[in-house]
Amino acid sequence: MDSEIETRLIFIAPTSDLTPDRIARFIHNLGNEVTVKETCYGVVVEGPKEAVRQTLGEVRKLDPNRIFSKVRAFPVGDVRRCRAHHGSRPGFAQLEKEWKDLCLVEQGLICVEEGERPPTPKKRGRLPIKELRKIVDEVSQ
Amino acid sequence: MRIFIMPPNSLILYDLVERFGHEPLSLMKALRERVTSNEIEAPPLNITPEDVKMGLKYAAIEVPSGIRGRMVVYGPLIDQADAAIFMEDAPYSFGCVGCQRTNELAKLLVRKRKVPILSLDYPSNEEEAKDMVYKVKEFLEGLK
Repeated sequence: MDSEIETRLIFIAPTSDLTPDRIARFIHNLGNEVTVKETCYGVVVEGPKEAVRQTLGEVRKLDPNRIFSKVRAFPVGDVRRCRAHHGSRPGFAQLEKEWKDLCLVEQGLICVEEGERPPTPKKRGRLPIKELRKIVDEVSQ
Repeated sequence: MRIFIMPPNSLILYDLVERFGHEPLSLMKALRERVTSNEIEAPPLNITPEDVKMGLKYAAIEVPSGIRGRMVVYGPLIDQADAAIFMEDAPYSFGCVGCQRTNELAKLLVRKRKVPILSLDYPSNEEEAKDMVYKVKEFLEGLK
């Protein structure tokens, strides 16, 4: 495959009002030379690097702090990965975990945008033995 | 600047590094060539004999083959890195970051290169997320 072709995942944070369908339609209307595929978390875009970057830029304007993106190794609809062809998706659990955290990252981006200096968060402590004993008792009952 | 991210397939880190004007060195980009090449039948599960030899540059012969195989992909990224961001407490049991020993070795190799490193934790609440994004921004802006 041409190295100038890029595949990108565009994620919509769980707090956004946008839907994958709306983004897919928006990208179609842009008229860029890219392929778009709707997914449960957003869309997958594939095409020449420049066109993909431009598309991402336009999509991001819709909701700057709630649209996230990363490149993908496998092309769109690759039979080894595409669920329509019973492909496996071993990395999806990781994506799902990070997708859930996007609403937290969004708060961070808003904070940075406003030039606010966040307070130092509390250090994560270890689970006290009393708490652990309580959990064990609950489970063993 | 080129930033090595850990976990190397992290969406959050990839997005933040790109957003703040740097080039993330990610697993996805490294695997792209492999998965689109006609030589490998079922990538990235298969590795070539060349990969095994290349892996020796980063991991000794007695290191398990899974680590050496992963280091073939991670190693060149580490060599290119101008800085690195590590996000600890990753859900390690997931996907291709499932090997903790590889992650430890990769981090060690980055540290040996003496490039600037930012170590963070996966945020579990709003306060931590704000702090994380702020630190990433400060770190990346400081590199320019």
